[in-house]
Amino acid sequence: MVPFRLLVYPGFLFLFFCAMLFSWLDRRIIARVQGRVGPPWYQPLADFIKLLTKEDVLTTGAHALASSVLPMVSLVSVLTAALYVPVAGVSADSFDGDLIVVLFLLSMPALTYFLAGWVSVGVYSIIGGHRSLLQYFSYEVPFLIALAGPAVLSGSWRIADIIAYQGHTIWGALTQPLGFLLAVVGLIGKLKRDPLDIPKAKSEVVGGPLTEFSGRKLALWHLALDMQTVVGIFLLVNLFLGGSRFLTGLPAFPVFALKALGVLLMLSLASALYARLRIDQLATLGSRWLAPLALLQVAVVLWMRG
Amino acid sequence: MTKTTVPIGPQHPLLKEPMSFQLGLEGERVAESAMRIGYVHRGIERLCQERSYVQNIYLLERVCGICSHVHATTYSRAVEALMGVEVPPRGVYLRALMCEFERIHSHLLWLGVIARNIGFDTIFNYAWRDREIVLDIMEDLSGGRVSHAANTLGGSRFDLTDEHRDKILEQLQIMDAQIQLLLGAVEHERTLRERTRGIGKLTLEQIHRYCVVGPVARASGLDIDLRRDRHEAPYDRLEFAVPVHTDGDVWARTLVRVQEAVESVSLCRQILNSLPEGPVTTRVPRRVPAGEAISRSEAPRGEVIYYVRSDGSDKPARVKVRTPTLTALVTLSEQLADVQMADVSVVLSGVDLCIACADR
Repeated sequence: MVPFRLLVYPGFLFLFFCAMLFSWLDRRIIARVQGRVGPPWYQPLADFIKLLTKEDVLTTGAHALASSVLPMVSLVSVLTAALYVPVAGVSADSFDGDLIVVLFLLSMPALTYFLAGWVSVGVYSIIGGHRSLLQYFSYEVPFLIALAGPAVLSGSWRIADIIAYQGHTIWGALTQPLGFLLAVVGLIGKLKRDPLDIPKAKSEVVGGPLTEFSGRKLALWHLALDMQTVVGIFLLVNLFLGGSRFLTGLPAFPVFALKALGVLLMLSLASALYARLRIDQLATLGSRWLAPLALLQVAVVLWMRG
Repeated sequence: MTKTTVPIGPQHPLLKEPMSFQLGLEGERVAESAMRIGYVHRGIERLCQERSYVQNIYLLERVCGICSHVHATTYSRAVEALMGVEVPPRGVYLRALMCEFERIHSHLLWLGVIARNIGFDTIFNYAWRDREIVLDIMEDLSGGRVSHAANTLGGSRFDLTDEHRDKILEQLQIMDAQIQLLLGAVEHERTLRERTRGIGKLTLEQIHRYCVVGPVARASGLDIDLRRDRHEAPYDRLEFAVPVHTDGDVWARTLVRVQEAVESVSLCRQILNSLPEGPVTTRVPRRVPAGEAISRSEAPRGEVIYYVRSDGSDKPARVKVRTPTLTALVTLSEQLADVQMADVSVVLSGVDLCIACADR
């Protein structure tokens, strides 16, 4: 049973499938909002396979070992985090405090992303890397505080317990609407999506830290990011939308899927409806609004617990 | 603090045409900038001396990929002045009609480019979709979407029937609704305003010093527009406002351009409704007498000037083009001083550079 959970459901294969599906849906939704048609369903898979076949170029002066290890570290941390995030109530493993491990593992890609810019010597990569660190400090603090809300309310740092607590009360998003919104904003920053795609803004720093990557390594980076999107969305569904709540087994799945798609829709619409912020605007927003509001939410949660 | 040199161009996702900047960055702040142009120099002015007066119309259309018609028109007007030929009223109106379509096309294209550069792809897609309406109309009229070949010495090469006019008026109706939507989005979307306000500021004094023209000058409070100021047909009979703002930043330029596009839609409608009867061209003499002439027009980016000298042969002795982009280019080093790296894209797109025009 454990190998099946690791490799098939809810492990690697299922995540890979979700990554492709979500990436396609995301592109499709944005395209519809913008009055375009959008790509066919196999486009993300085709892109992935095409990148795998492309020549892998290493720039002069770039660190060869680091640039091949970094995308793998990024992918592996996301996959490891996924082990502890239940999908429709099923997870590969669970223990007391797994939420903290998941949050730590989901922060790893940000570090590898910065290092990716650092080891490939291009000037756009380095600027992009610096920006990604600055951005990290702006979104990560409110994101972590916002995710602490459900844990504090349910009195456990185990994701399964938080789901169970919502199962016999109500959704976390209803008790902490502010926390949920902040978590979504934090997730957008974490995934470097529009309007917070500052580290990789094309018109400013070309491709950001990934400018000098190509071929298989770039494919891995993209896959890691797409999987991070999936895991991030699943995490929010579990913590704020009750996961699959009291349902178990097969009926739980469609409920969970619908909630996940709802969060994806929020991310896609945010991409389509806003212009990109400048890094200093994001830093101001993060420290002046997001972090204090997140603290306020936690204070309210503490008061609710009595 | 150490300085990093960041190259923007000759090839960069931000630039739609090749030009090059070397930015000296201190952190994210631009401390110094050096510009290099000339990557799309095609020697068009020299080529003009090798070709006949009529061939030159179609060559000069290739100066710009967006405002091709206004270049051909301005050149034709200079040659017509040398010949002493008067274009029939219908021809003048049809030329102006095409120029106004081009202005809408140019401003919408620009709106798309700046939206794309600040990461607002939705506005980009809307603007470029609506621009298709104008391109379709222009293709209907002349057969070409970008290079129209709609001019000849002595008038216009196309004419339109009443049914044709009604069809265009219908398309303009749709255009009007779409452009109002865009104007509303531009005026009310907060992130767009936050990214463009206070960036690339030019004072009225700087505008005078660098002889800046067009929307950039009008966004800094300089009320110039050749169409209104020259009191010539057909604009002296048409009603239109010249939008002027005083902030002098990219935000003001955005407003000026979108509002101008709105005015242009109304101008197109007025021209179509008051089109005079009669021929569209007149016969021109076979020889151009020796002499020189200057002709000016209000292109989408501002005043374009043509100087043509004839020595009495069948080829011009000299054709000199002064494009509006040239005046805007020289302000860039001042606009780029002390801006954030992230705002470089806003500054560069804000002036609506047409490098191909400036290089020729």
